[in-house]
Amino acid sequence: MVKHSFSNLLGREQRQEESAIKALRAIKKIAQKPVLHFAIFAVILSVIKVLSEQKILQSSFATAVGSTIIFCIVGLGFCLLLGYSALASLGTAGFIAVGAYCAYFCLSQWQFTIGTAFLLAILVAFVVGVVVGFISLRIEGIYLAIVTLGVAQILKEAFAALKDTIRLTGKQITISWLNDMRLTTDHVYFILVIALFILMVLTKNLMDSPTGRAMLAMKNSTSAAQAFGISLLKYRLLAFVLSTIYAAIGGFLYMLFIRNASNSSDTLFALSTSLNILGAVIIGGTKSIWGTIGGTFIIYGIDKMFLQDIEFFRANPTLITLFCGILVIVVVMFFPGGLVQLLLEIKLKIKKLIVKIREGIYGKDIG
Amino acid sequence: MAKILDKLIPSPQKKLVKLRQKRNWLIIERDTCKEELEAKVNKKLSALEEKFNKKLQKPAFEACDKALYIQSQNLDKLIKYDRKNYLKLRAVNTAAIKKIFKLTKKGESFDSVLENQKGKLDKLNAKRDSFLQKLEAKKAAFLEKNSQSTQENYEAAKAEALKVYETEKQSLNQAMQEKLDKKTAKLNAKITAKEEKIKAVKAKITNVHTLPDDVLLSVKGLKMYFGGLKAVDDLTFDVKKGEIFGLIGPNGAGKTTVFNCLTRFYDATGGEMHFKNKLDEVVSLRDFEVHDIILQGISRTFQNVEVVKEVTVLENLLIASTRQYQSTLFGQMFSLPLLKKEEKVMRAKADSVLKYMGLSLYRDRLAWGLPYGVLKRIEIARALMCDPQLIILDEPAAGLNETETNELAELIKKIRTDFDCTILLVEHDMGLVMNVCDHICAISFGRMLAYGTPDEIKASKQVQEAYLGTGGDE
Repeated sequence: MVKHSFSNLLGREQRQEESAIKALRAIKKIAQKPVLHFAIFAVILSVIKVLSEQKILQSSFATAVGSTIIFCIVGLGFCLLLGYSALASLGTAGFIAVGAYCAYFCLSQWQFTIGTAFLLAILVAFVVGVVVGFISLRIEGIYLAIVTLGVAQILKEAFAALKDTIRLTGKQITISWLNDMRLTTDHVYFILVIALFILMVLTKNLMDSPTGRAMLAMKNSTSAAQAFGISLLKYRLLAFVLSTIYAAIGGFLYMLFIRNASNSSDTLFALSTSLNILGAVIIGGTKSIWGTIGGTFIIYGIDKMFLQDIEFFRANPTLITLFCGILVIVVVMFFPGGLVQLLLEIKLKIKKLIVKIREGIYGKDIG
Repeated sequence: MAKILDKLIPSPQKKLVKLRQKRNWLIIERDTCKEELEAKVNKKLSALEEKFNKKLQKPAFEACDKALYIQSQNLDKLIKYDRKNYLKLRAVNTAAIKKIFKLTKKGESFDSVLENQKGKLDKLNAKRDSFLQKLEAKKAAFLEKNSQSTQENYEAAKAEALKVYETEKQSLNQAMQEKLDKKTAKLNAKITAKEEKIKAVKAKITNVHTLPDDVLLSVKGLKMYFGGLKAVDDLTFDVKKGEIFGLIGPNGAGKTTVFNCLTRFYDATGGEMHFKNKLDEVVSLRDFEVHDIILQGISRTFQNVEVVKEVTVLENLLIASTRQYQSTLFGQMFSLPLLKKEEKVMRAKADSVLKYMGLSLYRDRLAWGLPYGVLKRIEIARALMCDPQLIILDEPAAGLNETETNELAELIKKIRTDFDCTILLVEHDMGLVMNVCDHICAISFGRMLAYGTPDEIKASKQVQEAYLGTGGDE
């Protein structure tokens, strides 16, 4: 019996070791969760705002980050469309306009609450997406791009005929259940960060779900997808409508954050926005959330955050566009998978280097 | 307009399929809920065990053989020490080997190097000896301090803990049983409700076809014209349940076109195709769209492998079961518990299919760049994922060498018996066709030449003419 108790003791030590390993594994598992990474990113974005309020960073920097976040949201929708369903749309600007004009009419003309206005914007975007998708999704590739380009132009002209310049004032953006508290741009910045975080999580979930796989199957082989029960029209429409809704959310938040937009003088509703989003998604990596975010920060962020502070670029704004164009060409030629692919390759090389250094110190492990 | 309305208002057959899927999921849920509850109870019990073990630590230590205990602990420490030293030893040895290599190249003697190495190794050994001595000293001190004590204390504590543990286990098991009964009753009620609904919808279907008992698929007068070209013209054949049916013919005879008509990739110009699905209902395949065919139990492979190369092999199989998921888009975006449960069930199923096909090795690899034979296997595995009644293989042996073809023949026969399904295949490789098929239909220019067993086909004069040409041609 003494022996028995002794083995029990040994078992205890083993158990302790095991539980330690288990705890380490659990920590590793949590650390690998994408939601945590997204949350860390959101916290970093919030810290930027706090620093700018403390005058450590310039306030224009925070504003630039804010407007980049809006384009990140639009880019996420486009990533679903281009990376997962291989549909190239050039109508993004038109759908941003849908959201922006919804925000304007609901908040300033009809004086709805923000929540209702937001839901209405999503509903309108859904309807527009379904209608445009039904008409245009029977064609693919470059033709779809042309059709959506036309749709965007139609939407732009239609909205211009309604009202050319839209402007929201602080009075109109209030939260009714908080004693009519006025939403300042500072508040909206945090709303932007939260919206980006939620949409990143939702997009990630969708990409890992059966729907995401079905979209990838459709992208790779239409016949295999159809043979295994994936309706092409349904999933293409789904991707299209989702990207429309994301763009409309972007437009809505733009109106809350920047407060004014003009059809004639701004480039927001023009073709260049659609092209910039396309460029951002391609530069970052069409299939990855981090790639899309990174690409958007490169295209919009570098321009607004750094280049516009330099006298030379302020004098020649066209050079910024040139810079983006060159970047797209370089990425498409040398890294077709985007910057995400580049980072992965660097990671692999570092791993190989570490192995080599270890071999150099201790010799090759033959046993 | 009428077409769009038809799409918006689902036909009773489509409704039936959806209802059945829901019922099937409920059945899966009912069957798996016991395992889930058991896992929960086991987790609780193991936590309890941990707790008691912690309580028993002190009495157990007092009751144990101290000498044996400290000896084993010392052994552990020594092993750890050696593990640490291993890298140092290896570094010394490799350095010596390198030096010797250099010196021999120059033609100089290397005795000094050996001496140096020996000295270093001796140093390391001396260190180890001193470590051992320390351990011995500690052992003596420990034994002096801790004398042996009785173990009655320990036995009593252990008996008490065991008693509590047993009663707790019993109560937990009882609670689990109650929960299980409740849940199964609830799910059973749901299942019967669904079944009644299915009956109601079934009554609405008016045009009921019939097929003889042993026939699974019957093609009658199938025509497929591309403009003036008659790819398939008035083809009629029956496929019996559980057989391997071969469709052969020279190049351009229209074999693949027949398959594409069956799976609705092409809308046939004329003719009837009736199929008996899993529930022995006869359906006309022309009522379904291409992406709904799978739900009736027909899955296919492709002539030029159509594996999705951007995802892993496992996910390739999961793509095949896309239609078996019940989660809505909302549930998928928020990754609700239902989706997680479904993923678990589907992944287990995919794993078992992968194991059956001998593909477990490739489970988590991207399909990109896998060898051709493996891709072909993945295609067949994918076809097996959706519990098919009929598997359509489009030239499975294309691009395989002789041994691989023989393996494939065995595999096809095995699949037929293990998965209880019927196989319809198009093939150029006559060896394979004659080896595996029960019945063969030979076609040429879209018309049937001959139908029969392999021996009959071999003897048929028309088939010989179609393949080799008539005697007068030369």
